[in-house]
Amino acid sequence: MKRSGRISYHLCRLLLGGVFTWAGAIKALDVPAFAGQVAAYQLLPYAWNYALAAMLPYVELLAGLLLLVNVRVRSAALLTILLNGVFIAALFSVLIRGLNIDCGCFGPDAGTTPLQAIGRDLVLLAMGVAVYRQQPRYSAITSPVEF
Amino acid sequence: MSLPRTFFEALLLAVLGLLLGLLVNHRLVLAASSGHLTQVPAAQALQSHLPQPVLLDEVRELLRSGALPVDARDTSLYADGHLPGALSLPLGEVETGLPHFRQKVASARTLVIYCNGYGCPDSFDLGMRLLSEGFSDVRVFEGGFPEWRDAGLTVATGAK
Repeated sequence: MKRSGRISYHLCRLLLGGVFTWAGAIKALDVPAFAGQVAAYQLLPYAWNYALAAMLPYVELLAGLLLLVNVRVRSAALLTILLNGVFIAALFSVLIRGLNIDCGCFGPDAGTTPLQAIGRDLVLLAMGVAVYRQQPRYSAITSPVEF
Repeated sequence: MSLPRTFFEALLLAVLGLLLGLLVNHRLVLAASSGHLTQVPAAQALQSHLPQPVLLDEVRELLRSGALPVDARDTSLYADGHLPGALSLPLGEVETGLPHFRQKVASARTLVIYCNGYGCPDSFDLGMRLLSEGFSDVRVFEGGFPEWRDAGLTVATGAK
């Protein structure tokens, strides 16, 4: 087992976990503002924007925290892959429809364009895939908590 | 761990997160789904000199009876789409826009101010400003342009 591989695996895990925890926390702290960001995508009816804004940050938080504390890492990594896939699809729909909006990825004032957000999400997606694939080889603590 | 098992666990985590979010924010979600306000408590507004919050149905009724919708968003957003008959008075340009607004609008007229909804504070701030400028009947439509548009109501376009 190469030491550099182990280090890069844990770096990816911690970075991915940190990003998802941070993104989830910012949104969870100001749900109405995040609902406004979701509404800008013009994909959902009025009240559903609130519902999604109320729930999504906690999914991100859960996935991020599990990655950070090294518990159920593979499932959490797969969840980040699925979430990034959904985010990228939503951002592409924004580009196709020519909407000029901030992506709302890290709260209301982040000021990221959809194209920048897609680039960042692709990096996060690649990190999620790396963590998912490498977890069985490098994870020192193998899932101390069983469902 | 096999992919189906991992996938099942990931879905379970997602459901857990969704339920947690719903549990924490259930009041907000219920308020939004029943068309109620999420930002300006009505009782608080009634007890003080704050702009009166109004819901979509009340807005439609007020506009039918001659109230004036006032758009507090940027002029570019106004041009993209606004409530029919709305005057544009962006909060950021209130100093320059107010004299002209005063000339066109009687101070006793009912004003329905809106912006982008979802916690956008501009409509409320503009309402406070107009109250302090002597306008006597100022209402705030908190759902704003998004709720109006998503309800399938007529949207006007073009600059003021």
